[in-house]
Order: sequence, then structure tokens, then C-alpha cells
Amino acid sequence: MNAIGPASGLRWLAAIALAFCLGGCEALNPVASDNKNPTQGQVESSLTCQCGCGLTVHSCNHINCSSGEPLKVEIAGQIAKGRTLPEILSHFENKYGEIILSSPTTRGFNLAAWTVPFIMLGLGTLGVGLVLWRWRREDPDITAGEEVPPSTDPELRARLEDELKKFDDRN
Amino acid sequence: MTEIGRLAIVLGFIVAIWGVVASIVGGLKHSESWTRSGRNAGWAFTALTTVATGCLLQLLFARDFNVEYVASYSSSTLPLWYTFAALWGGMKGSLLFWTFILCVFNGIVLYQNRTRNQALMPWVTATVLTTGAFFLSLLVFITDPFERLSFVPQEGSDLNPLLQNYWMTIHPPSLYLGFVSTTIPFAFAIGALVTGQLGETWIRTTRRWSLFSWFFLSLGNLFGAAWAYVVLGWGGYWAWDPVENAAFMPWLTSTAFLHSVVIQEKKGMLKVWNMSLVILTFSLTIFGTFLTRSGVISSVHSFTQSGLGPFFLYFLLAMLVISVGLLIWRLPLLRSRNELESVFSREAAFLLNNLLFVSIAFTVFWGTMFPVITEWVRGVKITVGPPFFNRVNAPLALALVFLMGIGPVIAWRRATWSSLKRSFAWSGGFGLLVGALSIFLDGGNFYSTLAFSIAGFALAAVWVEFWRGMRVRQRIMGEKPWTALSRLIGKNRRRYGGYIVHVGIVMIFVGIVASSIFRVEKQEPLEVGQELPIAGYVLRYEGVEDASDPHVEILRARVAVFSDSGESLGMVYPEKRFYRKPEQPTTEVSIRSTLAEDLYVILASYEPGSGLGIFQVYVNPLIAWMWIGGWVLALGTGICVWPSWAERTAVATERAKAEGTPTDGRPA
Repeated sequence: MNAIGPASGLRWLAAIALAFCLGGCEALNPVASDNKNPTQGQVESSLTCQCGCGLTVHSCNHINCSSGEPLKVEIAGQIAKGRTLPEILSHFENKYGEIILSSPTTRGFNLAAWTVPFIMLGLGTLGVGLVLWRWRREDPDITAGEEVPPSTDPELRARLEDELKKFDDRN
Repeated sequence: MTEIGRLAIVLGFIVAIWGVVASIVGGLKHSESWTRSGRNAGWAFTALTTVATGCLLQLLFARDFNVEYVASYSSSTLPLWYTFAALWGGMKGSLLFWTFILCVFNGIVLYQNRTRNQALMPWVTATVLTTGAFFLSLLVFITDPFERLSFVPQEGSDLNPLLQNYWMTIHPPSLYLGFVSTTIPFAFAIGALVTGQLGETWIRTTRRWSLFSWFFLSLGNLFGAAWAYVVLGWGGYWAWDPVENAAFMPWLTSTAFLHSVVIQEKKGMLKVWNMSLVILTFSLTIFGTFLTRSGVISSVHSFTQSGLGPFFLYFLLAMLVISVGLLIWRLPLLRSRNELESVFSREAAFLLNNLLFVSIAFTVFWGTMFPVITEWVRGVKITVGPPFFNRVNAPLALALVFLMGIGPVIAWRRATWSSLKRSFAWSGGFGLLVGALSIFLDGGNFYSTLAFSIAGFALAAVWVEFWRGMRVRQRIMGEKPWTALSRLIGKNRRRYGGYIVHVGIVMIFVGIVASSIFRVEKQEPLEVGQELPIAGYVLRYEGVEDASDPHVEILRARVAVFSDSGESLGMVYPEKRFYRKPEQPTTEVSIRSTLAEDLYVILASYEPGSGLGIFQVYVNPLIAWMWIGGWVLALGTGICVWPSWAERTAVATERAKAEGTPTDGRPA
């Protein structure tokens, strides 16, 4: 059997960490797709209703909501002018302030909102990698090729319990 | 009754303080009399808090509107069941309810450990009573639930209509049970740190408490999602509201602990990490309580802003300083012989799993607090809403479910390429098959295909484990399939119960993915007799009827549902309700639920003159699997906590040793 050594394993771990970093880059671009011809729902989901419900304009279902309903009309107007999603969001941000956007922008200090979780994850992965490196067994030959597949547990347990039962009965 | 209630909380606070002092002195001096005094104070705290809770309930049921709390959260027409729920409907009552649950747990711990864990118990009692004394101090000095008004209102303001729903009678208690029960493992951890008894005793003693806490946190979150789904009427169930996040974070760290503690039990590793997770989980429950009661973050769930925030923060900081200080002090004793043969091993999979759980917890914490941080740093208010949380957490959640497919089947210590191929051939193949099926059915949505493939992979891993175990038993023991299955589970309840929990989690995951990606929605005004086609359904509006009672005016729409081929599928009855006290309109959704999808209909508005109704309709695919997954999760947890014969024997033997009586350990 080909045992997988710590170095090979850590390379895999590095690859996983890289995948997460790429995931983070993807997350940094929240309005990348379909931003040239946004739908009403897409824009509504990018804005927060100001009625206090805490939901997006799209999700707020307050009857004749004093905030949500005018915003929906305004969104429809912006879409009718042929504006892109970033342009529409920029219009609302300038008019109502950043608080209206349902997620932080990717500029300035707000960039931290998107990057810090992935930086922490990257550091955590690095930390786990270092821990695994420190904990690696110094003498892998002792058990090289040895493994305890979980699927054999029931058999071993059954045999053991059978033997113990016989032992109990004899005593 | 208010005098008795008030006296009970004042005395409860005094005896709790005494219990803390006596227990600490008893623990330090190894004095039986001081320890006994602390224990008795614990029993008195339990009795007095129960009396206080009983008094508030009695005042609520007696509709004594001279009591400010009763007048604020109930009315003479409030149904009895919701009158009971009013106990936790307001801040004062919820704090008393929290303390009541703690006092019940305290009583259980005192009884369970009347002869066991004698060295740990003074510290456990001191920790539990410190927490109890803190909550009672808020009730005694700051926010008195038994406060009387200077006049007697003719009628109460009533419970918030949104809380008058059956889910509200079980969601908060479930969450509170989960939150408060984290105090017990925390108290034992403190006991272990102070006494230096850092072996397996405290872990073994708190194993069920940790599972109990995790179980109720899981249920509490799911019930909350169900409440949001049926009451808030926006077609969703989770809005990443700060208070939802506050309940989710301890669940994440608690789940991480349940996994990493296995490594400690099996290999004696991760002692510091496990201790840290217990401290973190308890701290996050206090943090969650702080969030809902401080007003620091606006949330639809928050109680009214109060001056309680700083007190929670001070208590949280004090507990953190003490527990982290003790942890640092005991680091030399907690060091274990850590060794790992390969990154491709179950131990490493568990470590990665912990990394992901804690990362998601951090992300949720970061997103929840970022508006506050931004306001401090830039002086600008911003919103961090669902798009942020969904986007950042989605890859982490996918990775977690992927690990759920690896953890159960990868070998302990060191896997080999051949064992990996053997282990993952079936589950990997099934995952790919599910992915292909997903492409065929939904036209190749990248995210759903990836998510369903991973879910299939994780599900197949559990199936393979059950199948192999059964086959081995059938071959070796000659058992029939059902016998082999039941004995396989019975002989190792924690392991196989855990796998069943995994199945439940995968079901919930599938429900979330499908309902998030493939939801269809439509809003249209309809005149009586008009039809609305949506996603294979045709809805026909047939008019409205009045279904009012003295408590609430109800306008109920009758909507007939047909398949697009014209087959009748029954009726749905979305409602508009107008509560008389407080005068507040609400929408009551009507849901036609099948295993395939939910048809979710809201009567958004109604014009009495023309009879025109505006309907908001959603079709949420596979969402029923979220709730079924919750039941499967409950079943799996039940199997995990059910004591095996071997455990009962060990407990009986331990008890017999302590009491000095001989026993064969067998249950009667």
C-alpha cells in the first residue's frame, strides 16, 4: 500500500488554501455577473429597505411600505433608463447613503468586510498546516502502510464482545 | 403575588452570592461543610427562582394589569397558550425565564453529582451560581418583572401579533434551553481548570450536556427559521439578522467541539482547543444575549433598547478574563502528546472541519459587527445583509459538506491511496451521478450542480458506512439485515447516531440550496375569478370571507389551486389579520407543501370596494426537506444520547464505588 506522506498531504492542504483564496477573490466581485442588464429583482436584492424590517427591498413585504414601494418605482425608472447595476447602485448610494446598500462596497475600509474572513481562513489554514507539520510522526516507518479502516470496527467489536460474553459466562 | 415574586428574586440573588462564596471557600479549603453550604445554597437558588417564575406566570394568567409586565405583554383576550408564551415575550420575563432554566439545570447537576465529581462540584456550583446571580442581579436592581404601575389599566397592550404563533411557543424555549445549557459544560471546564483534573472526567460528565445543548441550539435555529417562514411572509426563512446570527454562532462552535472532542477521547489530543471551544461557546451565548438587549445593533428580534448592554458586556469580559486566565495557567497540564501520521487521516479531516466551523462563526461575527466597527472607524452607517453572508459563507458551507463525505470513511491515523480509492469509489461515483442528474433536471446551474454533487457524495459516504457495517455483521454473526442494522447502531450509538445527524444536515443543506437557487415568485393583482399561472400551478382567486374572533379580525381569501393540466389540487387560504390590541395588521401565509416544493401564497393587500386582491406567490422547491432534515437530526441526536448498556454499567459501577455498595452494574 502506498502511504501518503506529510509532505504530499501538506501540498494538498496548500491547494485547498489556494482554492479558498480564489473563492475569496470571487466573493470580492459581488456584482460581476449580469450587471449590464440588471433585473428588477436583482437591484431590489442589492438594496436594503429603510422601513426597519431589516430585509432587502425585494424581501420586504410590508403592506404599502413607505420605503420599499417608492424604492421599487425608482428602481424600475433606473432600469428603464438602461443603466448598469453599478450605475444604479451608485445612484442610490449617492442619494440615500451607504446604508441603503445590502452589502458593503468593495472600496476603502469596506474592503475589510470581504477580505478579513478569507484572510483569517487563510491564516487558519496556515496554522493548521503548521500544527500538522509539527505533529507529524517522526518515524513513519513504524506504521507505514498500516491503517485502521473504520469498516472493520463492527467485526472486531462483534468478535470482542462475543469473546467477552463467553468469558463472563464462564466466570 | 408581586411581593412574593420580588422577595423570591431578592432572596435568590442573596443565596446565589452566598453559594458562590461558600463553594469557592469549600473548594479552596477542601472543606465539606463549606461545600455543603454552597450546594444547599444552589438548591435554594433553584427553589426561589422557580417560585419567582411561578409568581409571574400566575400574574399573567390572573390578568393583573396593575403589574407593568402583564399590562405590556398580555391582554384579557389573549389565548391561554400565548399568555404562557408572554413569559418570554418581553425583556424582563425573558431574563427571568433564562434564570429559571438555569436553576432547573442547576438542580439536575446537583442531583446527578450528589456523590460524583466531588472535587469538581464546588467550582461547578460556583460558576453556575455566578451566572445565576448575574441574571438575578439584573432583575433585582435594574429591570424588575414584578414592578407595579401607579394605576390599573383596563386592558393590557397584548403580545406582539407576530409572536402569536405556535412556533413562538417552542422556538424561544428551545433556543433558551440550548443557550443556557452551555453553562454546564462551561462550569465543568472551569472546575477542571481550577482543580487541575483535566483528564477525561469532565469531558465524560459533560458529554450529554454538550449534545443536549447542541440539539436544542439546532432545534431553536430551525424552529426560528420555520417561524420566519410561516409568519413573516416574505417567502424565506433566514435573513442573517443579527439576532439570528447570535443564535447561529454558538451552534457553529458547539458543533466544532462535538467533533474535536472525539479526537481528545480517542487520542488525548486537542485538550487546549476543546477547552477553548467550550469557553467560546458559552461566551457567544452571553454575547447573543447582549446583542438582543443592548440596542447596539438594530434587529427585528431585539427587545426594546435598554441600559442592560454594558452589564452583559462586563459580565462577558469578566468570564472571559477568568476562564482564559485559568486556561493559560493550566497550559502546562493541558499539553498532550500530539502526533499525526498523515494529513490524509480522519484526525486531519476533523481539524479541517473545526477550522471551517470556526471560520464560519468568525465570518458571521465579523459581518454582524462590521456595521458597528464601520460606524466607529468612519462614522458612517452601513448595512451588512444577506448578500454578504450568502456570498462569503457559501464556499465554506460547501467545503464543510464535502468534509462530511470524507470524515466518516477516511481511515484513522493514515490513509493510503488504495484505501482512499476503495473508500470513495462509491460515494464519489454517487456524487457524480447526482451532479449529472442535476444538470439533466435543472439545465446545468453550476452552483446547484456542485452543491447537489457534494450532498450526494456526503450522503453516500454515510450509506456506505451503514452498508459495510451491516454486511460485516451479517457475515460474521449471521444476522438478518434489520437485526444487523439495529445492532450495528445499538452497539455504537454515538458513531451511527452521528451519521444519522449528518443525513439530517445534508437534507437541510439540499433544502436551502434548492429553495435559494430555484425559487420562483410572482406578484399580481387578481379580481374574483381571475387566474394566476406560476411554475406548473394555476391559482384561481374565488373571493374572501370573514373569520374574525374577539381577539382578531381575519380576512381570509379563498384560492383554488390547479395543476397546469387542470387537475384540482385543493384550496389555499392566505389571510390578512388585524389585531385589535395593538392595532396591527399582519399577513398569514397559506402553504401547500409537498416533498417536491411548497406553494406559498400571501394576500398582500385587498380592496374592499372592488374585491381586488394582490397576491404574492412563491414556489420554493425541496424546502420540506429542511424540516424533515430537522427531524432526522433529532432522531440521530436521540440515538447519540441514549445510554448504552456499557455506559449504564460504567455509571452504576462508579456510583457503587462512591457509595461503597457492591453491584454487578446491570440495569434492573
